[in-house]
Amino acid sequence: MNKSLMKEIQSGNREAFRRLYDEYADYAIRTAKAITRNDEHAKDAVQEAFIRVYRNISSYNPAQSFNAWFYRILVNECYRLLNKEKKLVPLDPSLVEISPQLLVYSQENISDLYDVIQSMADLYRIPLLLKYIMGFSEKEIAAILELNHNTVKSRLFNARNLLKNQLNLIEMEGN
Amino acid sequence: MDQLNERVKKEILEHTKASSDKLKENIWNHLDQELFQEKSRKEKKMKKKSKIIPIIIVAAAAIMLLFSTQTDTGTAFIKQVKDMFVPEKEIIQSIEGTEEETEVVLKEGKDAEYVIYMDEERYKLVKGESSDVITTKEPLEDRYPEVSMEIEQFKDVAPEDMVATLETEIASTYTKVTETENVTEPVEGYKIHGISGSEWDSPVTNVYVIDNRHGGSFVITEKYFLEAAEGHGARFYAILQEFKIID
Repeated sequence: MNKSLMKEIQSGNREAFRRLYDEYADYAIRTAKAITRNDEHAKDAVQEAFIRVYRNISSYNPAQSFNAWFYRILVNECYRLLNKEKKLVPLDPSLVEISPQLLVYSQENISDLYDVIQSMADLYRIPLLLKYIMGFSEKEIAAILELNHNTVKSRLFNARNLLKNQLNLIEMEGN
Repeated sequence: MDQLNERVKKEILEHTKASSDKLKENIWNHLDQELFQEKSRKEKKMKKKSKIIPIIIVAAAAIMLLFSTQTDTGTAFIKQVKDMFVPEKEIIQSIEGTEEETEVVLKEGKDAEYVIYMDEERYKLVKGESSDVITTKEPLEDRYPEVSMEIEQFKDVAPEDMVATLETEIASTYTKVTETENVTEPVEGYKIHGISGSEWDSPVTNVYVIDNRHGGSFVITEKYFLEAAEGHGARFYAILQEFKIID
């Protein structure tokens, strides 16, 4: 986001905020839909994320990536809604690291890679979604999820290995 | 791995296809209301508060009410009203999940037969021939459906008869009308709820029928739209909690 647009938003300019919204809304909705697996939650998460961005824009540090700042807010909103619905697997990293379970849902009826991704535990699923929807780098994902770079690297590596294996299985079944 | 990356990306993007313009516009409308209409109202309120000491506000409101009692015909009733109720107070209302402290001002209704406390920063009371209408102080843009709360007394129609008439009337205006229920909040009486659609701007109504204790009824008709249910809807609810009939 350029500096002049940010200044206009900080001064309360509605049109400037609309320009930011138009630029970010489509992919924000895509990302929220994929993370929450629920269109209504996605709508609420995106709404709330933009409200937080507007109200807290003065706390954004221009030296850092605006994308990472925006998506950190959005992902946190998605987490909040998932937690609220008690559908989220506990996000205590220590528990999950001890017993890394990639798939938390039954693999029955999994017919494509998207289903495989959506059946993964959130700590693998969400970095993967950020990588493929937005094309974020490992470093950016680490900043968004407030994780160590190597942790993200390892989670993406494990998740992609699983995807590779599942893809082989799907293709073998297809043949 | 490149082939895998391509395939994964393609599948994710297919499953999260770009949202419809309608959804995008719905979200924007919500943001616009929440951030820009609310902001403009709060700025006005803060400006006003910084200039006037609260004690002066209370005194001024009391004097205004005193003057109004000298010009109206129902002086005796209104004097009673003045004695019974404080001219202004603060209420706590829950708006979109957040507790909000709001300053409300005493208003006497048509012929001083009821009183209500109203948030004058947002709403105004327009007295008409047969009814009073509370509506937004700043007119809403044309794209928003009507937002109002009408209070009308039918001195010769008992609440039960009134309900029967209204049920038919509301069913002819709104596509979905819920069964009439007895309520104790925000007022004690009957409530009929109607809605047409499930879009952000779908019209919504809540109609309350209250016994006027003299064989007649007060009918309170709220109108707003779905997206405003937790905003104007919640505020109307808070206003109605302060509705009092003067015997």
